[in-house]
Amino acid sequence: CKVIRSYTLEHLEERAKLLEDAMNCFHRCKNEFAAKQTEEQVRLLRHQRRLEDDTGNSYADLSLQQTLRKLIGDGNHGHVEKLRKEFKVPDKRFWMLKISALAEVGDWSELEKL
Amino acid sequence: MIQVEKMAATGAAHLNSAKLNLGILRDFYRREFLECIDKCIGTKALVWDDGLTGPFGLIAEASMLKEQHEVERMFRLQSSGLPSSNVQNIIFIVRPKLGLMETIAQCLLNEEMKGGYVRKEFYLVFVPRKSLLCEKKLKELGVYGSFASVEEFNLGLIPFDSDLLSMEMDESYKECYLQNDFTSMFFAAQSLMTLQALYGTIPYVYGKGDCAKQVVDMMRRMKMEMGGVEPQITPQIDNLLILDRNVDLLTPLLSQLTYEGLIDEIFNIKNTNVKLPPEKFVSQEEKKNSKEPLPTEPKKFILNSADELYAELRDKNFNAVGAIVSRKAKTITAEFDERHAAKTVGEMKQFVSKLPHLQNVRASLGIHTSIAELVKEVTDSDEFLDSLRCQQELTHGIDTDKVNPYIEDCIAREEPLSKVLRLICIQSICNDGLKPKVLDFYKREIIQTYGFEHMVTLSNLEKSGFLRPHAARTYQVIRKTMKLIVEDVNEQNPNDIAYVYSGYAPLSVRLAQYLARPGWRSITEVLNLLPGPKVEEVQQIPMGLRKRRASVTSSQSSMGEQKLTLVFFLGGVTQAELAALRFLAQQDDGGTDYVVATTNIVQGHRLIESLQEHIEPVKLNPF
Repeated sequence: CKVIRSYTLEHLEERAKLLEDAMNCFHRCKNEFAAKQTEEQVRLLRHQRRLEDDTGNSYADLSLQQTLRKLIGDGNHGHVEKLRKEFKVPDKRFWMLKISALAEVGDWSELEKL
Repeated sequence: MIQVEKMAATGAAHLNSAKLNLGILRDFYRREFLECIDKCIGTKALVWDDGLTGPFGLIAEASMLKEQHEVERMFRLQSSGLPSSNVQNIIFIVRPKLGLMETIAQCLLNEEMKGGYVRKEFYLVFVPRKSLLCEKKLKELGVYGSFASVEEFNLGLIPFDSDLLSMEMDESYKECYLQNDFTSMFFAAQSLMTLQALYGTIPYVYGKGDCAKQVVDMMRRMKMEMGGVEPQITPQIDNLLILDRNVDLLTPLLSQLTYEGLIDEIFNIKNTNVKLPPEKFVSQEEKKNSKEPLPTEPKKFILNSADELYAELRDKNFNAVGAIVSRKAKTITAEFDERHAAKTVGEMKQFVSKLPHLQNVRASLGIHTSIAELVKEVTDSDEFLDSLRCQQELTHGIDTDKVNPYIEDCIAREEPLSKVLRLICIQSICNDGLKPKVLDFYKREIIQTYGFEHMVTLSNLEKSGFLRPHAARTYQVIRKTMKLIVEDVNEQNPNDIAYVYSGYAPLSVRLAQYLARPGWRSITEVLNLLPGPKVEEVQQIPMGLRKRRASVTSSQSSMGEQKLTLVFFLGGVTQAELAALRFLAQQDDGGTDYVVATTNIVQGHRLIESLQEHIEPVKLNPF
């Protein structure tokens, strides 16, 4: 399975390429849901890469949720909003995440603002 | 150097007491095993595959091997090589798994490097079967020639308790339904043939599910291969019921509520052993007196019916355990107090003779009070109660077609994935599959929260039937006809098997119950709704060997002998199901006694986990 194999690749671009292959396979066998998820994963990988360049922190191999948590913790709210919109994170989960993440780092002023 | 931990050295007296003498089976395996290792002459060291020490501990005690069979050392198989020893023979005992072959090769090469004064012979024993692939692998690694012989030891069903046999194949469900590998079914059929050779041909065979059909077919073929040679024993088992786990996936997913079931859910019972955190088992005085730090190693307990108190507690609903323990404690104290009443020498003597027994009971009371406290900590927690409430709503069929808010919250709180998956699977089964919209929502939530790698796990669950898209409505019908949901269960003095899940009766056990009375014909409709074919077969027994059945009238008047049914679960059985079957066997009007055989003992987390794909990503290179 290409999805499993993609995790053995070290380079981001190779990994993304293999996932794109997987996506095409999913399209061909009419598994639209899986194709969509794979596509989002590729996008997430690219985002994480860009964030790494911007902030200098590593976001490799984190899930979307963990990425968001880390970003909130770092006070990087601009990126958070962007990712939230792009991946359509449900409100309920997002606010629970935001509150717990802010509480974790003790960012009370940001909590007040909510 | 790590020596193999001392194997479970319990006596096996509790195996003999039952309706079917499983001691015979244990002795049979033990004899075969000893023959196998006695083939090499001289002192020996046994090198064990970790997965086998537990099961073998149940057949042959380490002490016996040491004293009578020149087994001087026992090691654990590991890639760091063998500790040095001066035995003449080294016997590797392993499962046929490719990964282990490399470890063996490593060990052998190490030994050769070391050289040594005594020339050693190497032997290899595969359990339960040689595998061509493994032998090929050894040849590739260049060590196959080093073995003086390569044998197989066919360990099938291991006697766990007086009414329980297990093959200890943890992955059989995954292998059958995910990887289409039916080897474990072959082993199941073979072990049933062994059973029949020891206890006589089983006259009536029933089965439900694809795997059950396979096993019955294989048994038929094996019988033909034996060329009409039949065991000349009067059958001791009357019925064989083979149930495929696939027929009832819901039961193992629910939280078990019996004492033993809860211990298994929380602490994982492995080969009748359970490891518990030690803090609870240090008495107050010891804490004060000992200056050494408290033990941090988990404490190990053996759980089987040899322990009188445990035999009584294990199958009770946990809510009833407290009362029994305190009642027992009172009687024990009362019995100890009898010593004050004893006046004559005769009375004293009688009391002293009872003493060892009393002390045993008191010790086990102490242990079980502590275990029960540990369990209670968990069952009183909000997470446990909320999850239980959610499960009960789902099994009752309340709002199963919508996204469940509790499950949604669990994901948002990032609770353990296996718990979330377990709940979603329950919902899927109770709703006969989920609507595409609901299913996709869950999947998306999981991928976003826990990571994209779980995509593979989700697809595994779909392939193996735990998650599926919406299909024809069957659950409601089955639930009603089989009376799976029972309101007002009495947890203290149960009158129905539903007590094991506090209100839900396991479908698998209901099937066994209906088979005994009034027979499967009455539930044809349900059997047709359940997946897989139904099997009914009669194995002819020669006239002379048939059981002398009392005539119809007398069997009705005197309750006559009870029938014995062997229930074989393919793909695993839960402790709660066992409890339910034991409960049925105790009923006066049941007329049937049960012995259970299974590929392995499961609970929800282990089942889901076995289907999870564990991907370890290589660290991304940032450049």
